[in-house]
Amino acid sequence: MRMFLAILVCKLLRFIGKLVGKGSSLPGEYALKICPDVLRRVKLPEHIIAVTGSNGKTSTVEMIAAILRESGQEVVYNAEGSNQIEGVTTLILCSSTFTGKMRGDVLLLESDERYARLSFKWFHPTHFVITNLYRDQLTRNGHPEWVYDAILPAVHPDTTLVLNADDPLVSCFARGHGKVKWFGLEKCSISTAEHQGVYHDGARCPVCGGPMEYGCYHYEHIGHYRCPSCGHSRHAPDFAVTALDLAAGKLTIDGGTDISLAFKSIYNVYNILAAWSVCSLAGADTQVMARVINNYILKNGRMVRFTLGGHRGTLLTSKHENSVAYNTNLSYIRAAGEPCSVLIIVDAISRKYFTGETSWLWDIDFGRLDCGAVQKVILCGKYVHDLAMRFDYTSIPPEKIVCCDTVAQAAGALSEDGGKEPLYVVTCFSDRDKLLNLVQKEET
Amino acid sequence: MELTILHLYPDMMDLYGEYANLAVLRRRLEALGVSVTVTGCAPEDAPDFASADLIYMGAGTERRQKYALTALLPHADALKAAVERGAAVLFTGNAMETLGASVTDASGKVWQGLGLADFTTVETDKRSPGDVVAVPVLWDAPAVGFMNKCSTTRGIAAPLFSRLTLGFGNEAEHGAEGYVSGNVFATHITGPVLVKNPDFLDFLTRRLFAQKGWDLPEALPALPHQREAYETTLAELEKRTK
Repeated sequence: MRMFLAILVCKLLRFIGKLVGKGSSLPGEYALKICPDVLRRVKLPEHIIAVTGSNGKTSTVEMIAAILRESGQEVVYNAEGSNQIEGVTTLILCSSTFTGKMRGDVLLLESDERYARLSFKWFHPTHFVITNLYRDQLTRNGHPEWVYDAILPAVHPDTTLVLNADDPLVSCFARGHGKVKWFGLEKCSISTAEHQGVYHDGARCPVCGGPMEYGCYHYEHIGHYRCPSCGHSRHAPDFAVTALDLAAGKLTIDGGTDISLAFKSIYNVYNILAAWSVCSLAGADTQVMARVINNYILKNGRMVRFTLGGHRGTLLTSKHENSVAYNTNLSYIRAAGEPCSVLIIVDAISRKYFTGETSWLWDIDFGRLDCGAVQKVILCGKYVHDLAMRFDYTSIPPEKIVCCDTVAQAAGALSEDGGKEPLYVVTCFSDRDKLLNLVQKEET
Repeated sequence: MELTILHLYPDMMDLYGEYANLAVLRRRLEALGVSVTVTGCAPEDAPDFASADLIYMGAGTERRQKYALTALLPHADALKAAVERGAAVLFTGNAMETLGASVTDASGKVWQGLGLADFTTVETDKRSPGDVVAVPVLWDAPAVGFMNKCSTTRGIAAPLFSRLTLGFGNEAEHGAEGYVSGNVFATHITGPVLVKNPDFLDFLTRRLFAQKGWDLPEALPALPHQREAYETTLAELEKRTK
């Protein structure tokens, strides 16, 4: 009876919430008050796939849903990104009958890395994809090992872990766990012998603290590692990208399937591979997967094209407090190779909470913009002086750097400078609309 | 004029952009005509405390802090000898905790500290990250920064900051923070504390010059944007302290 009531209240509140444009966590919150163990009582679909990690959750989940739907499966997932227990409860109950049976063949969850253990107290995923663990929002998350310790209790012995073999910290989840499948990138055209970046989170072994050796690096601390002290090392992947030409936007999976990339970023490569791996485990057909994923354009709007004065602009959404997200976008601009200007905005560090913490600027490898193609770098926003000081410690010539106090000043200057070069904008969700409200967006 | 900085475990105790502290200090000293050598030391190597004028260690994860402590402990006497000789020490973030008598981790295990001071630290499984505004004992202007700790430290009689107007101090909200003794300076403020605080950088510069017996110009050269960045952050944080 309590379950029935919880489902009824959840559906009602969700219905009203949609009418008045409210978020999706409140209905679940009330349902959990009425019936705290409702998630244990509901009959869930055969496949429950969860995705967590620092970066790539939303994109990976979106591609998994696209593949499985094309495979004829009914997929229920939290497309709105409400990834804590209340949002997950709303999703499940609103997809259930009043007798407590959830519709669909697959429940697919983007799971917040810090709160996964709360959701999975009542049920557990059949497949749990862990993409990577980086320095991400350290003001909330502490550090990657802290996040690792938070995820660990969410791992149930019956769950098949689908792990990034190339991340030395993520691979620790396999220690003492029976059911593990690995995905990884073999040594390829983007691999380097030396680590790239201003800090190296893979320098020390996450198991014993000893110095780590790398056969190659793909980016940051992601690569082929081995600890000579304790033997912690990369596992041979069950699913692998066996060849990659990022410039041409081509990758090969398991030596047999060629995929074209709509977005030529290393992130996209790993997200595709993670989606491929878990969909394959869920029974998807190789040809269907290849058809869906080929040239797949993500719908989550992280890249926006626009016009500002004579400039054709591309906004690459990064995340403040996440140096890897920034680095990936800086590498993308560098690799594009066309003469361009780059605008970097740091105005509000988070849209969810206040902080004046800017140490993450020192973790970003802004030196990647020191290349012939980048003609000008415009810095703006409330923290423009923090940014400018950081740039003082790169090799970028000072005459290429322009500072503006506000986004509006920077946009005004760009729209009137008579320049025709492409403009790349790197900033966070918290700041991007401050620019997008001042430009001509292209229809997508 | 030559000065040597020993950077302890830069690839292990480097969690929040700590290297930037040495980058700005080096540039400041070089602007004053000092030839600066920064020597990185790995945990597998014996630190050369004897030739160091400044010994620096930044923040690490809780596990890495224990690795660092384990690696440093056999060299504690050499570190004490350097301090008695007058070498400066700056430990930021949870590196500060290693200077005391012990660190008790969240599982209850007690790790012996370096013993430069008799304070003790206890870690918990709860983290309380937050912005900080601190009232310094040794210079005038308030310090700004961020703390990301899961511990309390007790038994510090001489703090670096007499109180915090924002943030959690050594053992209490708004309480005293950090540790100072002679030329040993420690604060749990993480990351680039010398970048964020021009007056802390000035203070440390003067101390290093005094330690070396060098004449210091009245006015120190400003690093571009540093003062403006500090004032922006201070103004934002002070909105939250009123």
